[in-house]
Amino acid sequence: MLSLIVILPFLSAFLMALVYLENAQKKRYFFYTLVGVGTPLTVTVLSFILGSQVLAGSDTIYQTLLQWIHVDNFNIEIAFMADRLSIVMISFITFIGTLIHIYAAGYMKEDEGYGKFFAYFNLFMGSMLLLVLADNPIMMFIGWELVGLSSYLLIGYYHNESSNITAANKAFILNRVGDFGFIMGISLLFVSLEGSGFTFDSIKEHINMIDKETLSLIGILLFIGAMGKSAQIPLYVWLPDAMAGPTPVSALIHAATMVTAGVYMVARYSFIYIEIPDIGLFIATIGAVSALFAAVIASYQSDIKKILAYSTMSQLGYMFMAVGLGAYSSGIFHVFTHAFFKALLFMGAGAVIIALHHEQNIFKMGGLKNSMKLVYITMFIATLAISGIPPFAGFFSKDAILVIAFATEHYILWGMGALTAMLTAYYMFRLLFTVFLAQPKEAKNLQAVPASMTTPLVILAFGSATVGFLGANEAYGGSAWINTFLSLPDTKLDISHAKEYMLGGLNVLLGLLGMGFAYTLFAKEAEATKVDTLFKKLVVHKFYIDEIYAFFIVKPLLLLSRFIANVIDPRIFDGFINFNVWGYRRSALLFAKLQNGKVRYYALYILIGVSGMSYYLILKLGVI
Amino acid sequence: MTPELFFLLASILFSIGLVGLVSRRNLFVLYMSIELMLSAVNLLLATFSKVLNDADGSVIALLMIAVIAAEAALFLAMIVHIYRSGRTIDSDKLNKLREGAQNA
Amino acid sequence: MLEISIFTILALFMLGGSIAMITNRQTLFSAFGFLITMIGLGGMFALLDSRFLALAQIMVSVGAVVILSMLTILTVNAKNENLPYEPNKYKWMFFTALLVSPFTFLMYKSTSALYQSFSTMETISSKVLGKLLFSDWVLPFEIVSILLLTAMVGAVVIARKERRKKERRKSEERS
Repeated sequence: MLSLIVILPFLSAFLMALVYLENAQKKRYFFYTLVGVGTPLTVTVLSFILGSQVLAGSDTIYQTLLQWIHVDNFNIEIAFMADRLSIVMISFITFIGTLIHIYAAGYMKEDEGYGKFFAYFNLFMGSMLLLVLADNPIMMFIGWELVGLSSYLLIGYYHNESSNITAANKAFILNRVGDFGFIMGISLLFVSLEGSGFTFDSIKEHINMIDKETLSLIGILLFIGAMGKSAQIPLYVWLPDAMAGPTPVSALIHAATMVTAGVYMVARYSFIYIEIPDIGLFIATIGAVSALFAAVIASYQSDIKKILAYSTMSQLGYMFMAVGLGAYSSGIFHVFTHAFFKALLFMGAGAVIIALHHEQNIFKMGGLKNSMKLVYITMFIATLAISGIPPFAGFFSKDAILVIAFATEHYILWGMGALTAMLTAYYMFRLLFTVFLAQPKEAKNLQAVPASMTTPLVILAFGSATVGFLGANEAYGGSAWINTFLSLPDTKLDISHAKEYMLGGLNVLLGLLGMGFAYTLFAKEAEATKVDTLFKKLVVHKFYIDEIYAFFIVKPLLLLSRFIANVIDPRIFDGFINFNVWGYRRSALLFAKLQNGKVRYYALYILIGVSGMSYYLILKLGVI
Repeated sequence: MTPELFFLLASILFSIGLVGLVSRRNLFVLYMSIELMLSAVNLLLATFSKVLNDADGSVIALLMIAVIAAEAALFLAMIVHIYRSGRTIDSDKLNKLREGAQNA
Repeated sequence: MLEISIFTILALFMLGGSIAMITNRQTLFSAFGFLITMIGLGGMFALLDSRFLALAQIMVSVGAVVILSMLTILTVNAKNENLPYEPNKYKWMFFTALLVSPFTFLMYKSTSALYQSFSTMETISSKVLGKLLFSDWVLPFEIVSILLLTAMVGAVVIARKERRKKERRKSEERS
């Protein structure tokens, strides 16, 4: 049954692709919806069944499908493993995924490539599940790559606009750069293990075979892959551009699931990262810097989806901060809660965009509070959650992370995290107020939003409000259930309840402060930021990072490849081969001259042969 | 008078004929060189028949002379024909049997 | 003593004649050289006590072949400008001689290694030859006669003038 969870989405994608290719013009709305939404629903049910099995106390579930490669030591099977970490991951991936599929059925209803969309979407589901349920690093890597591919396909879904294609290429290429590190990490791991098996369990057992330096290198290389996949500095520039895809894509892939694959990876390899705390610190630093950086940029963005994209990057930074400092469960917990409210935010944003006829600039919106009540309320809940206001989910998970940073005496990281928390509240409420509360510039006539889009919002709002209690610390009365359930090798904390309450209170205060700032600036009248100071100019242009990359990296590469294609390839390689051909031709001409039809010459040739033989005989026989 | 002298003479005559065959373009000289080669072989045969005291060699040489005569007739007829049609007695001009001309 | 000197003279004749034959530009002079060579060869045959062979050589080879070729040469009568242009004649000859020399040497050495002396001095007269020719060698003899016939017919056909065909066509058109 475990394998079904992975195989069903792939099968449905394949089926829909075949049907779509058979006749792309026909709108088989019912069929595509049935298969496209029904499959994730089935998978959700299956994963809940499996989850309940594991909850009831059974051990990790394994299922091997077949042996794929067996070359000497390199023994890879297509096998799945559902341990507690995987169960937690697939539970929210399938659940939120199904909700987003239902949402997409409404969002993409009028689109021509409806079937294509759902085929890609299911492909993504299958890939993500493969990634999470993999038994060995190679399988995980296959899922990793496939997720990148699905992301590319879905970002570039509106392929008529060339800018979308560019965005898709950017995402894929940056992913690839990260994957380079990832592959090297896996290979190094394999080589260092010297043939003692290559599934996660066996690596865990034999991890002591590898010395610290190699382990550090492996850790860094694997994290480079995570940098690309989870949009951390410096490989993050694809994430804002990825918003060119349809909103359900942004909700599912770039908020709830794919981008969290990097965090999952670090948690999965926790048995490596606990041995190398220095690398963990590096990871946490990158996470904190990315979080702060993204929060600053988000504060000045005016495109609703881009704000949410930077917000995702920022929250991912929090997650990496957690797993970097050794609190793997807290990182995964934040992944879990973040999926709920971020998906909700994206879906709500999608509803707003549809209602306003594909308008995405928040300063052109306003005053939607009364006309889109449901969306407003659900998004309000989500914004509260992300800002870390109790009792919503974000508070518990974010608080756990900041407590860890403080308790392990990494005060700079804690400070960055706290500042980011305030900025998070600020820009999220800025978004909320500008879209819903501020006075609109002009009156708008709204398009109706179908129920298929609003119902998931409600469900997710409920989730955002409640799931926080799954991981609440003892200080707040919870039993940190999720931490115990995950049983990952977390660093033990030693911090008093009083300090925890202080830190928690500080977080709430910062959140309210941010909300207050936003209220004063944006609730009444929303003005687009005037770009007057240099600082503002830098931030609005996203610190010119894209331009820097283009100038220093992309341009030289392009020049180099053009040079090779236009100069080296024709002259050297073709020239060499042409030279050979010319040589052959010349010698052929030369030999052709021998056959000139004159008998005299032929007699001469015979004579040459005879005389050669005679010379040989004379020398050999020594007749002299 | 040893047979070696005759052998030497026959060999030298044969090679002179061969040299003439390859070097000259004049058809008549070609023909006469061929005849020379055949005659050298005749000499060799006659010498052998004397060495071995067997008249067979001489008989063969005699029949060879007849063959030479027949060949002479044909060769010269051909030369006449060639001269009549091509107005040339240069063997190098008769190269129509070579492979198709390479224009490269 | 006498034989050696006769042999030497005849050999010189032959060598000189053959070299003259292959090096002369004028065709007729080559033919003269050829003539001398053939006569010398006849003498050689006589020296080897093959009387009939010597006679046959003089009669056929000299009297028919050489005369015939001279006749043809004079009939063709190529003018000096029509003669082939051979600029590198001596170069060719030199290099060919170089090529041919080991072969010659080999031939000489191989044959002389076999037999070092003449066995008897019995003359091979026409009687002996005739007996052999009509007993053991009758088949080749007959075949050679057919060969001569064929050669004659062939020579006539090859050397025929083309005009005959045109005349026949013209006569066909008239009738």
